Amino acid sequence: MNKKGLPSLNRYGIILLFVFLCMALIPSFFSQYDPDERFMAYEDPSSKHLLGTNDIGNDIFTELIYGTRISLTVGFASAIIATFIGLVIGLTSGYYRGNVDEILMGFTDVVLMIPKIPLIIILAAFLRPGIWILILVLGVLSWESIARVVRSKTLQIRETGFVMSARCMGFSPFHIMSSDIIPNLTHVVAPKFMLATAAAMISEASLSFIGLGDPSVKSWGVMISFAFTKGGFIREMWWWYLPPGICITLAVISIALIGFSFEKGKQTVKIE
Amino acid sequence: MKNAKKKLIRYLICIFAIITLNFAIPRAMPGDPVMNLIGEDVMVSADTLNQIRSEIGLDRPVYEQFATYLWNLIHLDLGYSYHLHADVASLLCERMFWTLLFVGIAIILGAITGTYAGALSGWYSDSKISRAVTCVGMAVSCTPPYFLALIFLSVFVFRLGIFPFKALYDEPTIASVIHHLALPVIVMTLFSASRNFLIMRGSVIQEKNSHYALYARAKGLFDRGILWKHILKNASLPLITQVALDFGFIFSGAIFIEIVFSLNGMGTLIYDAILGRDYPVLQGAFLVIAITVILANLLADILYGIIDPRVRVNER
Repeated sequence: MNKKGLPSLNRYGIILLFVFLCMALIPSFFSQYDPDERFMAYEDPSSKHLLGTNDIGNDIFTELIYGTRISLTVGFASAIIATFIGLVIGLTSGYYRGNVDEILMGFTDVVLMIPKIPLIIILAAFLRPGIWILILVLGVLSWESIARVVRSKTLQIRETGFVMSARCMGFSPFHIMSSDIIPNLTHVVAPKFMLATAAAMISEASLSFIGLGDPSVKSWGVMISFAFTKGGFIREMWWWYLPPGICITLAVISIALIGFSFEKGKQTVKIE
Repeated sequence: MKNAKKKLIRYLICIFAIITLNFAIPRAMPGDPVMNLIGEDVMVSADTLNQIRSEIGLDRPVYEQFATYLWNLIHLDLGYSYHLHADVASLLCERMFWTLLFVGIAIILGAITGTYAGALSGWYSDSKISRAVTCVGMAVSCTPPYFLALIFLSVFVFRLGIFPFKALYDEPTIASVIHHLALPVIVMTLFSASRNFLIMRGSVIQEKNSHYALYARAKGLFDRGILWKHILKNASLPLITQVALDFGFIFSGAIFIEIVFSLNGMGTLIYDAILGRDYPVLQGAFLVIAITVILANLLADILYGIIDPRVRVNER
């Protein structure tokens, strides 16, 4: 896929995501304070504290910058888990067809119908808040659509000449899948991966809001949750609850835009 | 017919899987299973605890426990909430009505506006308005629903004071209920419309380049005639499946929106149950929501068959 063929929207997505990645990797470059440093509580925005301070006197702007890493980690880590599971199930199902396919896809359909958020709420309530548990649960419960596209693409690829000849030469199914099929799946998996990341970030923010996030690591969702429960909302401190929400939205949009442009790229390739 | 049977079996397996999950989760999770089953931080005497222990029968074999569990489910016995001192089933029944009312209205409104706007926007995909609306739709669908609700709450309730800020009604009249539900329904509608909008737009853009659309134009049909009479029908097919699958998603969004607006529905019930670790209520809520979502999917499958003649023909 060449860079020129990608639509212009994509550029904004990449720039935005780049900014967020910088914020996640080198937070100390953006903010002068430490996230645990304490000042006067409930301060209004000023030149010293760009977005004021919260109920225990932490600088909100600093919190926002440091929250980037956590929110993005949750998104990408759970998307990696989901993609891995989806890839394995989709590949096996598409490559072996027959009964294996029937059972695996039936299973996928069943999982697809179970409402995720209520299930995650129950699991998270039993397991106690923790960032890694959240990542694991989100990842394990969002692989179905990836498995489906991988399967249908694998069904197409396994009939192509190069797979046929690889099979005639006696390569093992594992070798064929990993070196012949997977490289050809990237353009269907990449957009799904991005969308899974976006969905996981929204889920994380929602779960944190109802107190099922990890209160010790402050992601953007946890920040909104604290603003809501610790009086930021009643006091109309919009500089407390708006910025993390806007950051979530922008990050999700940038990731989704990149995902969509992968899909568009695929279409143009097909037409050519 | 074979297809329909296969689908029905999948639905049944799905319901069974959900019931099994519900049975297994409290027993498999770390901690005392009795505590997991009745909820933590409950004030019960040691006697009651022992009585419950023998009633649940955790010492009996698993299949026997499962049979008892199923037997109770058939009799609509979802357990007892020791926090609220009430039957879970009757608690859920009361709350479910409001949530379904509010989600139902929002989904229908969202489907209509989303389809209409999406079709127009896809048809005139190069116009500036269409692009602007697409950007808005994209932004709304990428925002966590509760955050959108928070913004609306702060603008329309705290700043402008047009809408009341909590509860379902002041007095049980229809006007009062509408006044209280208006804002949450608007937020929910926006949210579900934005998703339908994006799908519909993409679908219409794809269909409008197809041969039958070209032929309809060659025949001399008007622009709008082609869109509403020919393209809409084909383009709305992916939408139906999507709306059904989205139902679970929209429902989850509604839970959060209810919490923000302090409506007495499933959302607030779940929220209180999380805060108080009231596991029986959480599990009951999950079961009820899951079964509602599955029923919605079933309904969509039936609708799909009615609208798309190809499905009917294949099944005969």
